[in-house]
Amino acid sequence: MKLSSVKYLTKEGLKNVWVNRLMTISSIGVLVACMVLIGLAVLLSMNVTKIIGNLEQQNVVMVFFDDYNAARYDLNGRTAPEGTELDDNGICDEMYLIHNSEEAKAVCEEIKAINNIADVQYVSKEEALEITKKNMNQNADAAMETLEGEDNPLSDGARVTMVDLELFDQTLEKIRNVKGVNAIQAQNDLAQTITSIKNGIFIAGIAIISILLIISLVIVSNTIRVTMYNRKLEISIMKAVGATDGFIRFPFVVEGIAIGLVSAVISEGLLYCCYRVAAEAILSNAGTFELITYSSQALMLLGIFAAIGVLAGTVGSLIMISKYLKREGSEFAAF
Amino acid sequence: MSEIQSGFSVTKPAIEFKGVSKIYQTGTHALSDVNITINSGEFVFVVGSSGAGKSTFMKLIMREEKSNTGIINVNGFNLNKIRHNQVPLLRRTMGIVFQDFRLIPNMTVFENVAFAMHVTGAQSRDIRIQVSKALSLVGLGDKARSMPNQLSGGEQQRVGLARALVNNPEIIIADEPTGNVDPNMSYEIVTLLTEINKRGTTIIMVTHDHNLVRDFGHRVIMLDQGKIVANNTGGKINEA
Repeated sequence: MKLSSVKYLTKEGLKNVWVNRLMTISSIGVLVACMVLIGLAVLLSMNVTKIIGNLEQQNVVMVFFDDYNAARYDLNGRTAPEGTELDDNGICDEMYLIHNSEEAKAVCEEIKAINNIADVQYVSKEEALEITKKNMNQNADAAMETLEGEDNPLSDGARVTMVDLELFDQTLEKIRNVKGVNAIQAQNDLAQTITSIKNGIFIAGIAIISILLIISLVIVSNTIRVTMYNRKLEISIMKAVGATDGFIRFPFVVEGIAIGLVSAVISEGLLYCCYRVAAEAILSNAGTFELITYSSQALMLLGIFAAIGVLAGTVGSLIMISKYLKREGSEFAAF
Repeated sequence: MSEIQSGFSVTKPAIEFKGVSKIYQTGTHALSDVNITINSGEFVFVVGSSGAGKSTFMKLIMREEKSNTGIINVNGFNLNKIRHNQVPLLRRTMGIVFQDFRLIPNMTVFENVAFAMHVTGAQSRDIRIQVSKALSLVGLGDKARSMPNQLSGGEQQRVGLARALVNNPEIIIADEPTGNVDPNMSYEIVTLLTEINKRGTTIIMVTHDHNLVRDFGHRVIMLDQGKIVANNTGGKINEA
């Protein structure tokens, strides 16, 4: 198409936006509603993902090492080599794998090297006892004091967090296979729940966005249909004087894109206001949440809206006009 | 086959129908075994009662409809083999004048005529020159800025004629151009078409007005029940 035609048709398309202003306003209204809902769905999903990400970080797996205490409280399968001298508890060095904090830290490093591990923190048996004390009520303090020093029954261990809870079971198995690991304490149910919530939110988000996209397409198509009806005389003349299909389509596509882009800009502003109000309401009720800021996502959202607007405008007008391009002059006058 | 031309003496066929039949999906036999040749530079009246097949004849020339059988050639295009994307090129070789004028009401006279040139991708400067020429030719040079509703029926039809002319087509197809204008204006329009024909443009005009046909004395093709029943020279309407 020649540049002069592109200029002329772009002008015609933009003129149509104004000529059909009532229809344009109603289309923009519905498109804005769809886009704001899409934006809210995106922001909601991002916030939930962030919260779940925090939960994932809190879903700690406790790994206990195969040290003296492990052997002391579980002698099953442990035998001392012949002729070895045993202590008062019936244990010798060969009956367990982790003898000091250096060996324990080496196991931590080995765990850290496993894929999907976010963090590994070494917890000595002394630290473990302190944590246990804190978690128990004050009346138990006296009893706990008797467990200090050599009487501490706890094992050395590590606090492990994972990146992706969907790989929870496989990662757990890999940790279990590390030499020096005796036992693992994990909340498999919580991991599964978090994973299913995450998947559910993803599917619901896709479904909502798809439905709203279809609605947007239908809206733009209808606007173009009305425009086409209003311009049927013009189109019949265009065809009669030898306009190509591309020439006839062009102004309608321009009109569709213009409606889409105007809707995108309005949606961006409106969503900002809605999100601000919603965020303030949430934070005033549950102040510990750290929500995603709108400004950090503003450009991405404007991009999404513009893409939706251009897509709905282009596809909507192409679908509708293709249907009518098959008509010939006299059929146009009749429809 | 008649080889009569009004105006220039040329023999190159502009339109050829060979054994053309058209049956609509409703079962209506609109045209049956039509054989006719219209040479470049001819002025032809197409006459016949309602339902005779005149509109179908014109639609087949404009490729608004496809024939069921037979061969149609128009301005060097074989309409049986023409591809969809070539149809606009075919139509650019012809100018069409409608009975109901088909002017765009919210465009000025100038814009209505210029519209036909925009379709071909013409430059603004060429559009200005050509549109002014076409409007002068139909006697509406001073009405360029008027809106269609400010014009009489005859003037509106002359705008339609200017629009048909502006791309210098090889053929002008006029579908009852005098149907909505008074008798005096009808004569003016056909006189104008005759002038255009004298410059070498082939004119095919559908009409019900037998007086016009007789008075202008051009070739006459008469259709009845989808068949050509007369193909006379000198404005004779009688069946063969």
